[in-house]
Formats: sequence, C-alpha cells, structure tokens
Amino acid sequence: MSSESISLYVARESGLHRLHPLTKLALAGLLLAGGLALPQAWMTYVFFAAVVLPIALWGRVAGALLRAIWPIALPFAISLLLVRGLLWPSGTPLVALGPLSLKEEGLQFAAVIVGRILVVTGSFVLLSLTTRPDALMIALAQRGLPGTITYIMLASLQIVPRFQAKARSILAAQQSRGLEIGGNILKRIRALVPLVIPLILGSIVDIEERAMALEARAFSLPGPKTSVLILADPPAQKAARWLLAGGMLGLIAARIAWWR
Amino acid sequence: MIEIENLTYRYPLTDAPALQDISLRVPRGQFCALVGPNEAGKSTLCYALSGYVPHFYRGELSGTIRVAEAEVAHTDLPHLVSKIGLVFQNPFNQISGARFTVREEVAFGLENLGLPRERILEQVDEALELTGLTPLGARSPYALSGGQQQRLALASIIAMQPQVLVLDEHEMTIVLVSHKLEWVATFAERVIALAGGRLVGDGEPLDVLTDPALVEAGVGQTRYSQAARQAGDQGKPLPVTLAQAVEFFDADRR
Amino acid sequence: MSERKGDFNTLTIVMIPVAIAINIAIGQLVVVLKLPVYLDSIGTVLTGALAGPWVGALTGLLSNLVWGYSGLNVIYTPFAPVAAIIGAMAGLFSETGWFKKWWKVVLAGLSTGFVAAAVSAPIATTRCNRPSCKGWSPTRSTRSPPSWWCGRSSWPCPSASWPGSPARKTCAANDPRRPSRPGTHPAQ
Repeated sequence: MSSESISLYVARESGLHRLHPLTKLALAGLLLAGGLALPQAWMTYVFFAAVVLPIALWGRVAGALLRAIWPIALPFAISLLLVRGLLWPSGTPLVALGPLSLKEEGLQFAAVIVGRILVVTGSFVLLSLTTRPDALMIALAQRGLPGTITYIMLASLQIVPRFQAKARSILAAQQSRGLEIGGNILKRIRALVPLVIPLILGSIVDIEERAMALEARAFSLPGPKTSVLILADPPAQKAARWLLAGGMLGLIAARIAWWR
Repeated sequence: MIEIENLTYRYPLTDAPALQDISLRVPRGQFCALVGPNEAGKSTLCYALSGYVPHFYRGELSGTIRVAEAEVAHTDLPHLVSKIGLVFQNPFNQISGARFTVREEVAFGLENLGLPRERILEQVDEALELTGLTPLGARSPYALSGGQQQRLALASIIAMQPQVLVLDEHEMTIVLVSHKLEWVATFAERVIALAGGRLVGDGEPLDVLTDPALVEAGVGQTRYSQAARQAGDQGKPLPVTLAQAVEFFDADRR
Repeated sequence: MSERKGDFNTLTIVMIPVAIAINIAIGQLVVVLKLPVYLDSIGTVLTGALAGPWVGALTGLLSNLVWGYSGLNVIYTPFAPVAAIIGAMAGLFSETGWFKKWWKVVLAGLSTGFVAAAVSAPIATTRCNRPSCKGWSPTRSTRSPPSWWCGRSSWPCPSASWPGSPARKTCAANDPRRPSRPGTHPAQ
C-alpha cells in the first residue's frame, strides 16, 4: 500500500473482497473465537493452516497475510520459547544449555501462546487486508456507530503518514544542523526534544483551520447523513452473518463449558 | 446578497477591534475582490461573512451581517453552508481526511447535508468538471499536487452550491478550465481559448467570447451572444452574461 | 479556545486524529533513536490536558485501535483501556490544576504510571515475568486464562508514557515491537 494511508488494505479481485464489510467482520470474529476456543495447542496450528490460510488464499492475500504476521509472531515465538522454556520454575528438562535447561512444560505453554498469537493476528490482519477501512466504517455508521468515531478512525489512518513524513523531515533537518542521534542514552534523550517540539507546535496551529474547514462541510449538522458509497448486502450475506455470529457465540460458550 | 451594517468585532482576549464599523452591500452575481495589507482584517471579514465570527471564535460582535437572507450571527454554522462557502488559504488543512478518494471527498459535505444520493453525484460531477478534477476522481486526495489540492478545496465548496463563494487567498491565481462559457463570462477577468492544440484567443471575456472566428474554431459561444446574433446585427456589442443579455434585449424592446 | 474545554465539539474532535498521529509518529521516532522509553501517548496526554478527560480517554482508546487496524502493531489493541485511562487522568489532573507546578506534573506522571500499570496487569497477566520489571508483581498462574492473548516477555509492565515515568523504563529494553514497514517508519 502506498503512503497515502496506513491501512493494510490490498485491492484484489476476490470473493472475499466482495463480501460486505460486516460479513468479513463477523468472519474475523468467528476465526478469532475458533482459534482461541480450541482446547489443545496443536489444534490451534491446524486451525490456522486448515481454516485461516485457505480463506486468505480465497481472498488472494495469503502471501501478504504471512508477511504481515511474520514480524509480529516471530520475535514473540523466539522470546517466549526461550524465556518460558528456561525460566519455568519446575519441570521436565529437555535440552540442557549450560546451567539452564529448556523445560517441556515451559515450551508447551509457549506453544499455546504462539498459536493464539497466530490466530489473533491472522484474523485481524485478514480483515484489514481485504476490507477498505472507509467501507468498514461506513457499514458500521449505517448500523449506528457515531459519525464522530468514523471520522476519527479514517482521518487518523490518513493523517498518520503525513506526520511520519513530517517527523522524518524534522529529523533530517535537525541532523543537517548537527544534531547527533547516536551516543549514550542521555544524549539520545536530549536529541528527542528538538524533534518532538516542532512536530507538536506545528500541528496545534493546523487544528483550528481543520476544524473550520470541517464546519464548512456541514460536519456538525445533526440528523441523517447520506452515503455515496453503496455496499452490496444481499440477503444471503445477512443470513451468513447471523450464522457466523451464532457460531462465534457457540464457540465461546463451549470454551467456557470446557474450562470449568 | 451580502448586507453588512455597522459591523464591529473584537476577538476574545484582545483590546483592539479587528473590524470597526463596517457597512457594505454586495449585490447578487458580483465578482468582488477584497484587498488590503496584512492584518487589515481581510480574513476576519471573511470569517464574519461565513459565520466563524462569532460562532467559532466567539468574541464581541455588534452590528448585523446578512448573507442570502440569513442573519449570520443568529444562524448555526451548519445551516450557513448552503448560503456561503469559504475556501481557506491552506488547501492541505481542508482535506477532511474522512474520505479516501477525490470524488468522495467532494461528496463529503453533501453527505453531511443528507441530500439524496443521485443529487449528490450530480453536484459532485459538476464541481469536478468545473475545477478540471474529473480525471483525478478516483485518486487519493493526499496523492494530489499542491495546486490540485487547491482545486479540490474549491470543488468541495462549490459542490455544496453556496449562493456566495468567498476565496480567502492572498495570491491565488485562478485558472478555471471549463466549457461552460456562461460561467466563464460571469466570473473570469480573462479568457484563454484553445482549439486543436493552438491558442486561438486571449483577452477580456467580452472580446474573446464574441469573436466570430472562435465560433468557427469550435470554441462555441455563450447562449446569450448566440441569441443576440440570431436577433440580427444591432451594431451593439454582443452580450456574454445574463446581465448583459437583459440589457441588450431590454434596450432592443424600447 | 478555553471556554470550549471539556466538551466534544468540532475543534476537540479534530484534535483527536492529530493527537493519534502524534502518538504514532513520536512512538516510532523513539524506536528509531533506540531510546529505552515509551513515548506513544504524548498526543493522548495533550488532548486530555487541553480538552478534558473524556476527549483524552477517547483519544487513548482509538489510538490503540488505530495501531492495530493499520497493521502497525496489532498487539496494542487489547491495551486500549489502559491508553484511555492515561488520557482521562491527564484530563482530570489538568482540570484540577496539577499541571501548573512542575513537581505536581511529576507526581501526576508517576501516579498515572502506577494506575496504568495496575490496569495493564490483568490484560498482560502472564506476560511480564522478567526479573527487571519492578513495581508490580506478575501473577503467575499455571492456568493461562485470562491470558488468551499472549505472553510476550518484554511487554512493558506499566504502559504509562509520561516523560520520566520510571516504571516504564525498567523493562523496555530489547523490545521487538513495532514491525517497521517501508513507508510507514520515520527515518529511512
């Protein structure tokens, strides 16, 4: 995705892309509940490989999905396996590493958590890869989400890249004026001040004009609003959403029942 | 269209008034320029016309401002947008951020007004056409150049079809690309005509738009000059605006 | 602007996405500078201080949703309530005049840090088990719930972000968070 907004959305021609945003939201909810409700660690991995990935393949975003999850899951997996494996208070040692040893129980626990991370990030990322953020927000607004919230979410997604660019240019400008960003921690903390202050002050000036420009577009007018974007929502999808939501609740109930 | 009587305004927490005892009238259809040095109160007067003074800035206001029959100081900001539209100086801050394409950005204000969808699309297309943004309709507003963003800001306001348009910009050069010659004749000070990739006319609207060579070159003519031509040569200058046409035919009748 | 304080109006609503952008831009800048502090709530604290606790709370809440939905960091999303409390506390401290003296600001920062830590705890239950995490005790349970989320060892125990909040600095080193994507990361 270009730097116009920070959404993960990837435009593709696929059946998954064509689903109504709320259907995809319900699907993500079901995947989330499904992945977390499974009682055994290995089942979570099977669920990811046999359910989440095929859906991503259907949406033609499997590669993008893995690329997005990878940098989140891998550092977790490594640190968890090491920390949990080594620091588990008492358990069966599997591999000895000098004075320490990796314990079976610790590794098992880490495996459970890593599986859950895969499913949780997988279902979230699948939703954002295949759903235009504005379509999702408009769909939610049509179901009663206040316009204020949709405005804040969508404007944030588009303003963030502007601020990242601003931060980049302030950093470059200060560096060309001799600001050193290396050195010890104290030096680096001191380097932060001339970067942060112009970023904040510059934005405060803009806020007033942004607010007035929104007023010029009847933003604060109460009452019903129209949406130019039409979201196709055939009855079959409405039914599918109820099924997905029902399935999700069922899984949560089953999980609670197993638990006790 | 605009009637201001004895307007005096003071921003909050300031001693000196920003506007002092201003009275003026602007009739319907007039293209009127507001000039003056920095800090002269130009922006403040624009804000007063469009209701930001006093509704947004508060402060003390006396006198009356009437725009398109609305008493500005007693009308809520969102109810003023159909009366008067203000285009600000910085185009970047006027992009709402709430829409992902140029076309939807222009539609945003109309969506907030709750107009029927078909009418919104009509007004949006018209505004895009007038500002020459039609080919960029599917782009992200943030992918536009500075000049294009300026046109987007203008299109977003024009689409709401306010009765008064206020452009608050120190040195904005407006190049309006349009084939709606009646519009051009009404608003432009200078008209540049192209045909077949060549410059075929450049000058004051009255001169350019009544040039017979241009009609032949396919640039066309305003419906007023066309009607006047059909009425036969009167030895009078041809009209290009509604006002001129009224005068032309009125004089004819007498 | 002062008479508009503490309420939702167009001005305060416009502030929120700008504050979220400040949170994210500065949050990433700190990573670029390899600083062992979390500064991902500067915008939240500012809106809280300028526009009151409700606006601050909403800024914090939505800020973490944006971190997640944008794909910048999905892990932030469950901590949205913590961010909301940081914003609300900034608003309350501001309304009661705590931001007028420097030592009160420090106190306000510290107490926000501790409250945020306390709220983070149940969300992060089985996560923060590094010995370097002082100031709160990680609950260790053999049964994992409610840790349905994750157990990253280096999760910041308290997620307050006031400049100088000591609680936050203790366990922030070697943090693998915020996968950087080209085009979304400051510098380079």
